[in-house]
Amino acid sequence: MLSHLVIDATLYNGDSIFYVVTFLLLMWLVKIFAWGPITKMMQQRSDKISDDIDHAEKSRAEAADLADQRQEALKGSRVEAQQIVSTAKSDGQEQRGQIINKAEADAQALKAKAKDDIAQEREAALVGARNDVADLSIEIASKLIQRELNASDQKELIDSYIEGLGKPHES
Amino acid sequence: MGSGTVSTFRIWKLTFSTANVVSGLVVFILAFAVIFFTSRHVSMRPSKGQNFLEWLIDFTNGILKGSIPAKEVSGFGLWGFTLFLFLFLSNQLGLFFNVAINGSAIVRSPTSDPIVTLTMSMMTVVLANYAGLKKWGTKGYLASFVKPSPMFLASNLFEQVSSFLTLGLRIFGIIFSGEVLLEMVWSLAELKGIPTLIAAVPIEMAWQGLSVFLGSIQAYVFLTLSSVYIGRQLEGE
Repeated sequence: MLSHLVIDATLYNGDSIFYVVTFLLLMWLVKIFAWGPITKMMQQRSDKISDDIDHAEKSRAEAADLADQRQEALKGSRVEAQQIVSTAKSDGQEQRGQIINKAEADAQALKAKAKDDIAQEREAALVGARNDVADLSIEIASKLIQRELNASDQKELIDSYIEGLGKPHES
Repeated sequence: MGSGTVSTFRIWKLTFSTANVVSGLVVFILAFAVIFFTSRHVSMRPSKGQNFLEWLIDFTNGILKGSIPAKEVSGFGLWGFTLFLFLFLSNQLGLFFNVAINGSAIVRSPTSDPIVTLTMSMMTVVLANYAGLKKWGTKGYLASFVKPSPMFLASNLFEQVSSFLTLGLRIFGIIFSGEVLLEMVWSLAELKGIPTLIAAVPIEMAWQGLSVFLGSIQAYVFLTLSSVYIGRQLEGE
């Protein structure tokens, strides 16, 4: 066996070269077909993963920021709503007061005017009645005594008469 | 191999063993088929084949990282991957395809011939020394032989030779003995017809299983030791 090995080692000098060439050729083919594309893809994948991790970190921070902003906005809008409601309430209160005051004033004015009107009308009616009575009494008197009386004298007489007439009536 | 005659042929002044050339070509084609069909559709989401290939690349890179400095390891990845694939297939080939014509082997494990394994270990030693020469320059490289003191020159030179020999002969010994034992069990089976055949088949299968394991371990060991030799050349004293 040993001599066989020695003979082998000296004889097959071509095999050595054959295996070196085969190995180098195989290495070259592996590089072209597998090693190149695969290691490139592995690199890309690891890059993508680290990118994704960074990106996820950023998105999470952004989402947290947005949530904070929304919370703040919600708080602000609540305060604003409260303000609006309270302003409306006080406005309403004020308006109610104004309306009531105005209504009261109107009613007062109306009442006063009505009183004035009534008084005026009574006055006018009184004056009318006085004149009518004066004319009437003149006519009656002229008819009764058949003579022309001085109108002014007669009026004096009638006035005194009416005064005398109104007194017992008033009481 | 074993007892049969060896068929050879000559080209120019070189002698070739038919078995080694044919087996080498078979391994070459198998290795190419493996890497070709597993790398057809390289994508971000790996398919089955790509997954396997990536696992294998990670595996051999892991072996290299164990001994070669991290900064330089990327330069040896392709070499380590190819070496492991080639040796692994070489070790397994003879266990399943052992073709002999007229008593002389045609297809068997290439690694059961010392000329092949010593060629491989010579490539490792040359690569390791070349890496050292490239990194430290001629002066630094030569100085590494007289470290820690000139007294160590002989032992350092002897170490180069011994690593070349042990690396090549270890794998040869394991694979060669495995094939020899397989042949012996087979000849035992042929001894007395059916009864010995039935007795021999389980033994043959058990030994084949063990040889698969040993062949894988030897490919792993070869790559590990190779990376240790390279790593030793690249490490500063």
